[in-house]
Amino acid sequence: MRAFEYTTPSTIQQAVSALGADSRALAGGTDLLTLMKAHIAAPERLVNVKMLLPRGIEARPEGLEIGALTTLAEIEQHPVIAAGYSALAQAAALAASPQIRNLATIGGNLLQRPRCWYYRNARIDCWLKGGADCPAREGENRNHAILGGGPCYAVHPSDLAAALLAFDAALWVHGRGGERAIELADFFALPAPERRTETVLSPDELVLKLRLPPHPEETRSGYLKAMDRKAWAFALAGVACVLRLSGRKIAHARIVLSGVAPIPWRARAAERELQGAMASPDRFAAAAAAAVQEAVPLRHNGYKLPLTKALVRQALTALTDPACK
Amino acid sequence: MPGAPFAIEGAMTPLRVNGEHVELDVEPRRTLLDALRADLGLTGAKKACDMGNCGACTVLLDGEAVYSCLVLAVDCVARAVTTIEGLGEGGKLHRLQEAFIAADAFQCGFCTPGQLMALAALFERVARPSDAQIMRALSGNLCRCGAYQHILRAARMARDR
Amino acid sequence: MITRLEGADKVTGRARYAADVRLPGLLHAHIVRSPYPHARIRHIDASRAERLPGVHAVLSSANSPSIPWHDASSLFDRTVRYIGDEVAAVAADSDELAADAARLIDVQYEALAFDLVGEAREPKAEARGDVARGLREADVVLEATYRTQTALHNALEPHGCTALWHGDQLTVYESTQGIFAVRDEVAEKLGLAAQNVRIITEHMGGGFGAKQIAWKHTVIAALLAQRTGRPVQLALDRASENLAAGNRNATEQRLRLGAKRDGTLSAIDARIRVEAGAYSVGGEDSDVIGTYLTLYRCANVRAEQRSLRTNAGPAVAFRAPGYAEGNFALESAIDELAARLGIDALELRLRNYATRDQREDKPYTAPESLRRCITRVAAACEWRHQRPGLGFAAHDWAAGGGWPPAEAEVEFAHGAARVIVGVQDVGTGSRTALAQLAAAELGIGVERVQVELGDTQPGLYGPTSAGSATLATLGPVVQEAARLAKKSGHARAQRGENPKGKSIRTCGAQAVELAVDRDTGEVTVKRVIAAHDCGRIVNPLLQSSQVIGGITQALGYALSEKRIVDARLGDVLNANLEEYKLPTVADIPEIVNASESMPDAEANATGVKGCGEPPIIPTAAAIANAIYSATGVRIRELPITREKLIR
Repeated sequence: MRAFEYTTPSTIQQAVSALGADSRALAGGTDLLTLMKAHIAAPERLVNVKMLLPRGIEARPEGLEIGALTTLAEIEQHPVIAAGYSALAQAAALAASPQIRNLATIGGNLLQRPRCWYYRNARIDCWLKGGADCPAREGENRNHAILGGGPCYAVHPSDLAAALLAFDAALWVHGRGGERAIELADFFALPAPERRTETVLSPDELVLKLRLPPHPEETRSGYLKAMDRKAWAFALAGVACVLRLSGRKIAHARIVLSGVAPIPWRARAAERELQGAMASPDRFAAAAAAAVQEAVPLRHNGYKLPLTKALVRQALTALTDPACK
Repeated sequence: MPGAPFAIEGAMTPLRVNGEHVELDVEPRRTLLDALRADLGLTGAKKACDMGNCGACTVLLDGEAVYSCLVLAVDCVARAVTTIEGLGEGGKLHRLQEAFIAADAFQCGFCTPGQLMALAALFERVARPSDAQIMRALSGNLCRCGAYQHILRAARMARDR
Repeated sequence: MITRLEGADKVTGRARYAADVRLPGLLHAHIVRSPYPHARIRHIDASRAERLPGVHAVLSSANSPSIPWHDASSLFDRTVRYIGDEVAAVAADSDELAADAARLIDVQYEALAFDLVGEAREPKAEARGDVARGLREADVVLEATYRTQTALHNALEPHGCTALWHGDQLTVYESTQGIFAVRDEVAEKLGLAAQNVRIITEHMGGGFGAKQIAWKHTVIAALLAQRTGRPVQLALDRASENLAAGNRNATEQRLRLGAKRDGTLSAIDARIRVEAGAYSVGGEDSDVIGTYLTLYRCANVRAEQRSLRTNAGPAVAFRAPGYAEGNFALESAIDELAARLGIDALELRLRNYATRDQREDKPYTAPESLRRCITRVAAACEWRHQRPGLGFAAHDWAAGGGWPPAEAEVEFAHGAARVIVGVQDVGTGSRTALAQLAAAELGIGVERVQVELGDTQPGLYGPTSAGSATLATLGPVVQEAARLAKKSGHARAQRGENPKGKSIRTCGAQAVELAVDRDTGEVTVKRVIAAHDCGRIVNPLLQSSQVIGGITQALGYALSEKRIVDARLGDVLNANLEEYKLPTVADIPEIVNASESMPDAEANATGVKGCGEPPIIPTAAAIANAIYSATGVRIRELPITREKLIR
């Protein structure tokens, strides 16, 4: 890690005005410090925001509010989330390891950079780091994107982001001009030549909090994740699924994929297959196929198509099992 | 940075380590792990990956298990750190330590301090953890010698004692 | 149950490893490594690094002696041959500063063409009988190619040391499996007499073969310490560990097996290619052909292996080198052959296992121990042919019997003993088992025995911890010294020769029960049952640790571990513990250790043989066989990741 200056501002305004291209906010640090140790990031200054941003989970009439500094462990263990937002609790429980979940914040989780092994290798030039091309496209790409790829083929590493997106979460950010709200769906954006990141957040903005709109009692949700081992790995593919049933009829469906695209990927075509339909194995198979219908596999990641389909099917089957609440 | 609208952090970082007050005078980039090992001579926490991928550096920060390689020492102002050196009490081994010996829950021993601290955090919170809770608490600690089956046995022994 | 003598040290953090040594004035060193897979160094300018306050010395080819190293290279060679090859080194007041200085060293490279495929060198080949005839006369011939990956040792303790000088005496606290091997090599490289070098290994955090030779970091630390007049600590970071500190070589094994209708093996033909990396560092040419020549009785065998020199990190021994790789192919092939013959896979093994060492043309000291292991495992898993998800494999291992030279000293007074030996306890429990043998001989409790090891200073030679040989080598010596010391109070003993006319091997068998989800490709191993012949079991608790440990490592080898190299860049993409997937606690099945103590009285006076390596050998094949049994899909390439099984 290169040397840096460390500052602890006393207000959010001070923090925001201290942020910039060479100056990064430090909260949990579990992603930023690894980027710095790997010489992918070398900020001149870290701005400690641990005293400034909200932390905690609050159930309000307008929805569930989660402060940016809330840790993944707190989300995993919160009774309201476990009871009413299963997909989010499960995603938190399947993310990283207990030690990481104790440090990592939800704000940082949404902002973490890809784990792509080309991006994380300082010896290797890559598009996301400002280079001309993506070495993964023609290279070792078994972990890479089947959806939304190009010019970057890295996948978004967050499990929780998929669940939050499936709950139609919004977030509040604080910048030099004050606060603004953004739908999470608009917060994530495929990296583009003029913005080689996975979100629309400016370097001088801070995520303050998230809000999940209230949802009816009968909502069911779940998160499934496939990894290279049984624990403590990033998703090869994952699916967050939120459903509302009216009898056997699907009144509402959200399917969001993780580990398969540069950003959490809402599978709208799959949702259309489900919306208003009767829950049935055939319908689930159709939704699963729709989820990856636009997928373009690379040389080594073709397995992610059947894998993603299987996870979508399994998630839908489990959530609509009459025995399951 | 004269005139900057924020205070530059003072060099001294006061914290508690194994119950004792210490003041660290370290660079901002020094991790808690390096501070423990190099500045305080507490070498029980091990540097094995330095990237939060192995668990050998696990310590308790305000009672919670964390990777000390992913924490900056300057971020520990007024916080309580417990390392393997502070696990037992009054020269007596913690029941987990005794169980580790009895079950041969280690071979080379390099990951052992981290495994123990991960379990210690669980046992602090839950007096009689379930097998599933034990498994989850250990899921962020690698053991290359492959002692997992004995580590699980040790944790159950400590619980059932 | 006797537990480890060093248990309390290991659970309290008191156990001191090479990088835990704290000395006044200690400097920290960092190695600059090549970012090119093949290049010539044009120019090195270290002036900016040297001017950095807190930097005490910079070493490179520009200012240090040209010490000959592996093959025709030198310590800081002007040609670098893989990404990670050593270019320069820095000693500074802190780790962070040393890394800063390393970045300030300006190295100009001229990139050269690199080769990741490699040209096959002269084969190492052994043959007996007439393979062509054996194949002609076979009723069934199986022809198949198997591949194994490059695996990384990833001992949690990286290679490292702390070096200091007292005058012309060098002391190194080293993480090594061979204190005498390191002593002799370091002395030779530095032009010192061996007695002027002292190597200390109090505890070491795993080696698995990668720490059985002297590596450059030790000599670099010694040179930096010499130049600065200060103690120097040099611990590799995880990336360096995975680039430059050894690996298990990848193999391609083309097999032809011939058998008669009754299952008699009539021919074994194995053509093997082994990726050895950029240098011959010693121990990298693992004996992949070994098990083809010995596990089964067969009159017509030809086995050859060719090493491929590539611009990648050098290979080095990794727990049961050659045998883990060879066994995966051979024991998968035997299963395939059994299916073609319509013979129960276990029965086929029982009909063909060897009772003589066909390589040395000598009988084994324990000719029927493999049968006992096979039948014990079969009983424990209630073996039924074609039970879905159940797979089986047997194995042999050429070592485990120990060998001379080795010596030990025992002092015995007032009912207490002190045992001094020149080995190191690499985590296998050598300290404890040697204490038990001495205690038994002396008729005292093990708590009355103090074992001193891991130090070359007393001058009592001990072998490198390799070949599962430590206990079988030193056990008889300690026992003999104790016997003598019981009379005289103080005695030394030397390791005697092994019996002439007999061959000592270790062997065993494992069964695996697993489930495969063909929709997601996920394999879930539920149970592994193992029985290994390690002679007399001195300490059942420690022996079971070796068994579960070997199997756990093998699960990673079989299912998740693989070094990934980008062929266009020559760079390792997963030189870390995030993307190089070691098994976690959640990946571990129930492991049943069905081994029994089988004292091998002919092997040595203790009846002991080794158990360090055997448990890693048959697991991968047993898993592949179980996957076939569960799915009908035969996987001939490791690791068996989900893309190979997904439907």
